[in-house]
Amino acid sequence: MNVLALVLLSIGAAGFMFRLLRGPSLPDRVVGLDGLLSIVVIGIIVAAARSGSGGITIETVLVAVFVGFVGTTALSRFIERRGN
Amino acid sequence: MDTFAEILLVAGSALAMIGGIGVVRFDDLFSRMHAAAKAPTLGLILVAIGAAIEIGTVLAATTLVLVVILQLLTSPVGAHALSRASRRQMTIDLDDVDQLTADEQSASDS
Repeated sequence: MNVLALVLLSIGAAGFMFRLLRGPSLPDRVVGLDGLLSIVVIGIIVAAARSGSGGITIETVLVAVFVGFVGTTALSRFIERRGN
Repeated sequence: MDTFAEILLVAGSALAMIGGIGVVRFDDLFSRMHAAAKAPTLGLILVAIGAAIEIGTVLAATTLVLVVILQLLTSPVGAHALSRASRRQMTIDLDDVDQLTADEQSASDS
């Protein structure tokens, strides 16, 4: 059953990866990167639930969420300053 | 209870997949942002509830609550910053009437 969740996540990751590689503009690529990172976060949580133990696997997710937020905000500042 | 947790895990993953499909199929930056910002957030909440039930320790549940709160706080802020920056800096082809530009023009006229 957890394998089904991982398969669904892979399909979603393919969609975000498509937008990351072939976004017409820079904000499209940022959208793809942000969504890809949230897919990775959900995947880590599913994998932790599959192994049945919390521990350090769950704590990795906190770092990933922070990195995603800082990356999106920094790229937004970059777009706001430079354009395109 | 275990079946309930697995249903939550699959439902959350399906929501994240719907976000990915929407990002491919919408043909407008702001529509894509709408699909990419909201659906995976709800998916993360469902998956976190399911994983907290399945793991069952207090430490894991606390960490997952922290993750959900953090995502709920940061996801709208990031989406807003990105949409504001792209709206100000770039010309984006919209698929409908641009009401914001009309409003700004009527405000500067009066």
